[in-house]
Amino acid sequence: MKNELVLDHVTRVFEDGSLALKDLCLNLPEGTKLSVLGPSGSGKTTLLRLIAGLETPDSGRIIFDGMVMNAYPPHKRGFGLMFQEFALFPHMNVRENIGFGLRMKGVAESELKLRVDHMLALTGLEGFGNRSIDELSGGERQRVALARTLAPNPRLLMLDEPLSSLDRVLRKRLLKEIAKIIAELGITTIFVTHDHEEAFAAGNMVIIMNHGKIVGKGSSPEELAASCPGSWIRDFLGI
Amino acid sequence: MDTSIIKLRSDLKPGFLTHPYVLAGLVPACFFLVFYFYPLSGIFYKSFFGTGKFDPVFLLKGIFSVRMGRVVWFTFWQAAVSTLLTLACALPCSLVLSCYRFPGKGFIKIMASIPFVLPAVVVAAAFQACFGENSLFFAFRVKNPIVLIFMAHVFYNFSVMLRIITGFWSSLQGRITEAARILGAGPFRVFIHITLPLLKPAILASSALVFIFCFSSFGIIMILGGPLISTIEVEIYRQAAHLFNLPLASFLSLIQISITFALMWVYTSFAGRAARFTPDAEQINLKKPVLLWEKIVIAGTIVFIAVLCIMPLAALVIQSFSLDGKFSLVFYKALFVNASDSIFYVPPFNAVKFSVLFAGAALVIALVTGLCAALFIRFCDRSVRAGWASLFDPVFMLPLSTSAVTLGFGIIITLDKPPLDLRTSIFLVPVAHALVGFPFVVRAVLPALRAIPDNMADAAAMLGASPLKIFKTIDLPLISRALAAGAVFAFTISLGEFGATIFTARPGTETIPIAIYRFLGQPGEMNHGQAMAISSLLMLVTALGFVVIEKFRKESSEGF
Repeated sequence: MKNELVLDHVTRVFEDGSLALKDLCLNLPEGTKLSVLGPSGSGKTTLLRLIAGLETPDSGRIIFDGMVMNAYPPHKRGFGLMFQEFALFPHMNVRENIGFGLRMKGVAESELKLRVDHMLALTGLEGFGNRSIDELSGGERQRVALARTLAPNPRLLMLDEPLSSLDRVLRKRLLKEIAKIIAELGITTIFVTHDHEEAFAAGNMVIIMNHGKIVGKGSSPEELAASCPGSWIRDFLGI
Repeated sequence: MDTSIIKLRSDLKPGFLTHPYVLAGLVPACFFLVFYFYPLSGIFYKSFFGTGKFDPVFLLKGIFSVRMGRVVWFTFWQAAVSTLLTLACALPCSLVLSCYRFPGKGFIKIMASIPFVLPAVVVAAAFQACFGENSLFFAFRVKNPIVLIFMAHVFYNFSVMLRIITGFWSSLQGRITEAARILGAGPFRVFIHITLPLLKPAILASSALVFIFCFSSFGIIMILGGPLISTIEVEIYRQAAHLFNLPLASFLSLIQISITFALMWVYTSFAGRAARFTPDAEQINLKKPVLLWEKIVIAGTIVFIAVLCIMPLAALVIQSFSLDGKFSLVFYKALFVNASDSIFYVPPFNAVKFSVLFAGAALVIALVTGLCAALFIRFCDRSVRAGWASLFDPVFMLPLSTSAVTLGFGIIITLDKPPLDLRTSIFLVPVAHALVGFPFVVRAVLPALRAIPDNMADAAAMLGASPLKIFKTIDLPLISRALAAGAVFAFTISLGEFGATIFTARPGTETIPIAIYRFLGQPGEMNHGQAMAISSLLMLVTALGFVVIEKFRKESSEGF
């Protein structure tokens, strides 16, 4: 199927020999909004980095749009990844950060300007274009990071705990905005978090990971809890 | 769905060995192989088979002579005395600088650092100006060349020791000593039980470093010592260049290399221990002088450092401008005149021309190879091949612990015949200089590269940047200041380099330090005055370079 992401028995071994991901299988048709829940160290970030191509699976296949991606370099995949600490480029201003992906694509300067203006408007950053990164607040950085990730029109969007470095109040407000933007995009989205409220707000399908495995799946907290044996998941979800 | 599993081991993952930053490692690797390890192997071969066959009797006769015994003994003895004298000067100053804060302290620190960055020939010329036969003040004249050498070594190394010990000592002026005070220890007992034990590794490390510098001191001993005084380093040159006894010179080089490597190992282990003790810098809490005696002590320290660091340099500049006790520009004007036909005469303007030319070439070579080495080490750091980083990092520092004389000697005895005959090549000098400057470039660039967060490159890759594009758009702009500092290092080191140049420079392509050496070796007021003038110019350029480097460096970094 077009733009379908398939993880076929993917295993990733840490340097010390322990398993980061165990024989993981996943099938995401285009447009899926998936949230990945799990305690820290459960393999969520490794999953994203494997899909992104920043790491290579030790066995198994990662297939996108019918193509095996295992050894395909990250910069050619056309995926978007928003980092937990945002990873904004300190030597570029807001506009240059957002336009970076377009510049790498070779987009013409006039079109690039229009696209960046659009992204600034979409993320509520009008007038911030010429600010330097260290003048921005945490929430503003988060918006720049999102705008930068979305600007080149990625084929697949991944967000790695995008709200974890913000305070509670800001988190709630930005979660709504992000959820809205994600919902309006037609592309597959993978949202990684350890907060179940965020997970259900951002995705219509939630999987829960533990010790490198998918241990539960559902579209509501009750469904998720029912899909997973044992009581720890109820504690984890707080229900 | 086909469920057959493709086996992929991550350390064999395609792309690691062909990644541009890994390939970049080949550049310094080849550079080292040809211009460092190959010459070193030549020295090794020449020491044992220099006479055509393995001849231990010839070798032993050379080594166990009275002359060699004296040379080796004197090398150790002068290094030890120089180190102790330096310690005696630096320790009290360090106490004052690390306990008190006072206006102008930053300036004093920078002033105290200037001597260390000056080329050895300039220091030697300054001491001749201040204390030599032509000294302006008769009372200052020092007849004994050994005393003159000690004084120059103290002047030269005072700043290294002051910097290391003060940086460390300041960091102890916080919670640690406060805690001891609250537990009931008086100032003296705090010093004995807390400060001194914690400070010991820093004192030992800086002493080891100064010992190494004095042990392999070349320019100062050649110029101030005269023909009768010889250390291992000087003897290598005399045996090779004057007596053409290449096997003995090679064997002395081997001795020199083994001893400096052993000393370097001692230094590294002390420095490692000192680093482990370093408390958090943010706790530093320095006193303001209040009592009269405190103010007097501080004033005394300032005067001492100023006199120590400025007087010889001031004497150099004054002599360059004075003829028969009157102000004159004659020595500077003479720099543009080709006066003598003597084969030892180096036309000053020519020397400036070649120095700048060589320094430019050395800068390019050192910068390219150094940058490649730093990128390679940084890339290994964060990949599965982290072990490679800890293997190559010390290898790339090897030229630091190999004396310049040995480097230059090795290069001329190996690169003068096929497979690589560069005897007539003009590149020999810049290559030798680049080798000396290379570790400084790596040391300037690597911390800046390491300061770039890991996820920068990942973020750029996710936005479609290829490894080369990441280098151009992310890494290069973020390290540009460090790179500039490395470039200034490479340039100024090349301008002042003496030990390797005296071997590799061909007649007609002598550099400024060689010209200074020749001028100082000739009698007559004109020669002396021109040496002073050209030394003053070189001092100005090097000091300027140092100020630029300091500007590029982050203000927070203390220590060496």
